[in-house]
Amino acid sequence: MECLKINNITKVYKGNNNEPDKIVLKDVLFSINEGEFVCLLGPSGCGKTTLLTMIGGFLEPTAGEIYLDGKAIKGPSSERGYVFQNYALFPWMTVKDNIAYGLKFFDKSKEEKEQRVNYLINMARLNGNEKKFPIQLSGGMQQRVAVARALAGFPRVLLLDEPLGAIDFQMREILQNELDQMIQEANITAVMVTHDVSESVFMSDRVIVLGNNHGHIVSDYKIKLPRRRDRESSEFKKCVAELTSLVRIAFNENITAGEACIMKRRK
Amino acid sequence: MENSKNKIWDVKARRLELVNDTYLGYIVLIALCTIWFFASKSIKSELILPNFEKTALNFITGWTNKRIMTNFGITLKRVLMGVGYAIIIGTIIGIGMGYSKKVYNALSPIINSIRQIPIMTWVPLSIIWFGLGEGPTIFLIFMSAVFPLTINVIDGVANIDQNLVHAAKSMGASIPNIIRDIIIPGAFPSFLTGVRLAIGGGWQSVI
Repeated sequence: MECLKINNITKVYKGNNNEPDKIVLKDVLFSINEGEFVCLLGPSGCGKTTLLTMIGGFLEPTAGEIYLDGKAIKGPSSERGYVFQNYALFPWMTVKDNIAYGLKFFDKSKEEKEQRVNYLINMARLNGNEKKFPIQLSGGMQQRVAVARALAGFPRVLLLDEPLGAIDFQMREILQNELDQMIQEANITAVMVTHDVSESVFMSDRVIVLGNNHGHIVSDYKIKLPRRRDRESSEFKKCVAELTSLVRIAFNENITAGEACIMKRRK
Repeated sequence: MENSKNKIWDVKARRLELVNDTYLGYIVLIALCTIWFFASKSIKSELILPNFEKTALNFITGWTNKRIMTNFGITLKRVLMGVGYAIIIGTIIGIGMGYSKKVYNALSPIINSIRQIPIMTWVPLSIIWFGLGEGPTIFLIFMSAVFPLTINVIDGVANIDQNLVHAAKSMGASIPNIIRDIIIPGAFPSFLTGVRLAIGGGWQSVI
């Protein structure tokens, strides 16, 4: 069943003064099925974060519409849980208050809310840390709080903006495992932005590669490997190699005549 | 050096070890008083430099002098009222201007021109507006307290991580919720700096 539909989205940033307008995305069209985990992959500047921000409702497309369950998205709402790149945890609230924040706006009994928060704390393995403040937590724990908080309000879709962008390589794999486990457990439709190819292969059912040249879809790549993927398996490595070459194509599209000229001269 | 906290003289090191820096202020104060004491002794003219002992004695007896204390109370009340109004109005304007670019653009020309006016030039106008008595003084205190506060609040609100606001919005928070739960706690450190400056400014314009 179709859950999210990105319908011919175009985004143009107006240029300042005499700069030309920048077309970030042009006629991007795809849909995401219920329960699917989709990664938006591409070189920096290809518009993947812009697209996610628009799905989140923080930014309006220049043309086209985004539909969630057939309804056009207008502004942010609790239907779409959002995990920010720097987690954006409220520094003056405890772990528990951070997770419970979204539930304040729900018409539910106190017991139900309490139960939900406890369930999420268990799921994110944060027991014993409920009363800590975000600054007292490790990067991995902060991430789990951010995911738990985004899941609290029963969203239809979970949006993740490079949640592991700033984390070093060794820690990354551990956190990928944790994130993967949490999302599988929550059984939710998710869209994640990343520039890490192996991360996208490890976590998603489908990878959409966006190209740099007026942000369009270069490839819609399905990953059919069974869950709990083995990073060392030959199938996994094959997927990574294929996607890497697709990203390379996406990146090379961006090289304009002028840049190509400079590169030639350097050689 | 956990156990040597608050210890001024470290016996082993045979030197002054200032573990707790709050002593520094008192040391400078005592040094200045000592210089004053000896300077006034050598100058011998109270017109140029008042005698230290007399001044110190008056400072101490002043606390028990009924007339001084009544006047001190009146001044304190005026400062608190002026600063109080400044906190209320400055916070409201500051939140509005920091949160919304439109409000900022609408109000900043007025605020930025009024705040440049020297405080003394308000004296005649404030007497015409409020008559003689409490009114003009409170108004002047208000005028010198409100701008440092407003500017700090604007700054504090404008510098809140936009992702925190976005996060609250994506969880279903309305604008009043965002102001209460994100803007106010997020801008609180800047607000406190503003209050400090406002109280300082308020005392300066006590006449």
